[in-house]
Amino acid sequence: MDLDDDDSFFTRNVLGGNPAPRQPAAPAAQRRASPDPFQSGPDFDVWTANRDSEDTQGETPLQQLIRHWMNERHAPDILPVQQTLLSGLLDHIRRQSDTVQILRSDPSSSEEDHFRIMLVQTEIERVKFIVRSYVRTRLFKIEKYARYITTNADVQSRMSATEQQHATRHATLTDEHFFQSVLRSLPAPQRGLDEAPAFVPSIVTLPDKTRAVFVHARVDCPPVRLPDGTTLEMEKGHISLTPYAVVEQLVARGEVELV
Amino acid sequence: MSLPQSLRTSVTPPELELIASEQLVEIIPLVSMERTAFISGAYGPLRPPTKCKIPLWMATNLKLKKKCHIVPPDWLNVEFLQERLARETSQPEFSQLPFRFAEVAKVLLDVASDDLQNPDKLRFLLKDLREARQAKSRDGLDKLDHSELSLPNLSSMEINEIRPFFVRSMGILTQLVREPSAGLADTS
Repeated sequence: MDLDDDDSFFTRNVLGGNPAPRQPAAPAAQRRASPDPFQSGPDFDVWTANRDSEDTQGETPLQQLIRHWMNERHAPDILPVQQTLLSGLLDHIRRQSDTVQILRSDPSSSEEDHFRIMLVQTEIERVKFIVRSYVRTRLFKIEKYARYITTNADVQSRMSATEQQHATRHATLTDEHFFQSVLRSLPAPQRGLDEAPAFVPSIVTLPDKTRAVFVHARVDCPPVRLPDGTTLEMEKGHISLTPYAVVEQLVARGEVELV
Repeated sequence: MSLPQSLRTSVTPPELELIASEQLVEIIPLVSMERTAFISGAYGPLRPPTKCKIPLWMATNLKLKKKCHIVPPDWLNVEFLQERLARETSQPEFSQLPFRFAEVAKVLLDVASDDLQNPDKLRFLLKDLREARQAKSRDGLDKLDHSELSLPNLSSMEINEIRPFFVRSMGILTQLVREPSAGLADTS
């Protein structure tokens, strides 16, 4: 770490050529007899190891979630649920909150500790906001496309078990409501909620995959076919406005992100 | 409702600012702090006056409590922006700027204008840049068709600004291209 080098360089100069041995966190650890809870533990090392995998390209879990959150916000369709990523982050939030609780109840904590607690709490709130917004975005789409989801196994495979349950319940509830309030007084042939008459949009709300999205290529992408018959090959960093259907596969593989 | 109406069509500028605030900036701390593990990674230790890299949101927090100076990124100075503005006004394509320059510049001008050289001039330059680029993206509407529009070097805030209009325009163009057969069938 060059920062550390800078640091020792500075200490050396100030202390007249005596490189002071640096023992980060040692006083804090002694005072509490247990290791400093905010010290970067094994978790962080696991992440740094994970960073090498091709898919995530050096992203931390939080950065991945932010990317998936933005994809979800911009894509007209429901994207695959990020269950492991989400539960990993939720676990981490819980661990950080627990640590904060322990430190707060510790009367011997110093002012510096309080300051760190404040920063850690600020971050917890930021991450919570993103998690919440991500889940709410999915919930919104699930309620909007509930009927479509119940009949389409492909979408169901992209959702978690609870999300599927919610979709089914929502679809049943609205169906019952429509039937109770209007449909039962109509003649039987007109009671259907899943008609697809010609030349009119289907009654069931479908995701509009022709809606345009802004894509940003994270890597060099294989060529994709555009609606006008030509092909588009995006280099890394390329930004383009194109219908969602064109880049659907690239989004699923994480080669592009929606911005 | 699960997602408020205002958030359904587009992302809001504060949300973009939240995302941009995850980026790292260099600070000169005025307080010391041990290395601390956060959800986004471990930062520190802070040892004044050694420079350290921390996320922008944390730097903002420290700055507001007068516990650090923020080192502006190398693109946020008068010379660089002046050169970019000259290029912007003389050449047809968008000049290269960091993807989230607008958000970062706004945060820094808001909380750390005393760490920047000549913040008023910077504001003017950023505004001029914005207007020059805005005019170009409007011209880009000319080239819009139903399949693809390349927008190299457009920044995240600018994309967000043109999104509603461009997405709808493309939607209408798609309909015009896709519908003729259905339209014929209707009239016949």
